[in-house]
Amino acid sequence: MTDLAKKRFAQLGQQLQLDQLTVVRRQAEGWRNGLTGLTGLVGVVFVLKGRESVAGMPAVWRWTTAALLVAAFGLLLIGALGAVRAAHGQLGQRTWLTGDRLFAAVLDEVERTQDALTAARRTSVVGLCAIVAAIGVSWVVPAEESAAGSKEPATAVPHVLVVTVDGPRCGELMAGDTRTLTLKVAGESGESGGRTPAASGWRSIPFDQVRSITPVRGC
Amino acid sequence: MPDHVPTDFREHEPAVPPTDTFAVVRSEDGRWYTVTGPCPTCRATVVFRVAYGVLGPPKRLLRGGRRTPEPLTGSIPVYCQCGYPHAEKPPESPDAGCGAFWEVPVPSPAPGTTT
Repeated sequence: MTDLAKKRFAQLGQQLQLDQLTVVRRQAEGWRNGLTGLTGLVGVVFVLKGRESVAGMPAVWRWTTAALLVAAFGLLLIGALGAVRAAHGQLGQRTWLTGDRLFAAVLDEVERTQDALTAARRTSVVGLCAIVAAIGVSWVVPAEESAAGSKEPATAVPHVLVVTVDGPRCGELMAGDTRTLTLKVAGESGESGGRTPAASGWRSIPFDQVRSITPVRGC
Repeated sequence: MPDHVPTDFREHEPAVPPTDTFAVVRSEDGRWYTVTGPCPTCRATVVFRVAYGVLGPPKRLLRGGRRTPEPLTGSIPVYCQCGYPHAEKPPESPDAGCGAFWEVPVPSPAPGTTT
């Protein structure tokens, strides 16, 4: 009984010896396309992104985000170049085109292609993780104004410095009409003498006593 | 003994005469074997090379220089590649021999070993 499959696989093996570099290149092209698609997928998934910039984040998180993005860029660049190198070969490689040396060079190049592809795959995945981490940091880290210790949002009420005939008054601008200006002045009730919220008082200043109004960051 | 017997082309697995000897030589870098010996059917000397190939990216974390593969064990299926024309060969056949194929056992893993 003749087992022709044995011979067919032997023939396939002989053919693969000649074609393996082409096969590996084609395989690398598929991987390169997959990695490129994966990188683009991150952009699609994170289209509902959080803040637009790192401004307003605490310094440590701002630098963390920047470092993650720089690392991600470097890793993705290395990965992309590695994938292209695997798919299309190294520029300037030469060998003597004798049968044995070419055969050895093909085997070498197959191994180098596989190594480049493996490195490209790993660096691309790590780079993508770094991008996701950077975006995650920008999502979850609170803004610096609210992290600075103030209980009230910084944009809630503007502070103003009002110069009156009796002297300057600083507080939060609560209300104003044609006759009076109402400020919320911290620590001026006089009862407790402290600067606690409980000691805050509302002061109405007639407009005819106002000399100037200047917006300030705080009192 | 003539170099070549002009047999008709036929794909079959003949019995290898016990007097036939085959040289199975591993290359210096260990990445391919070369089998040399007479075809049991057409008696031409056949040189058959089998290389170590890769089917996918390696899993190892650390990369080194050129890797020497594990020695081949078992036997190598060999088919005739004598290069002589043989009658009755179909024109679409990729064979370059008489169509015979056989197995050559691989000796113990020592470079340069012959059987």
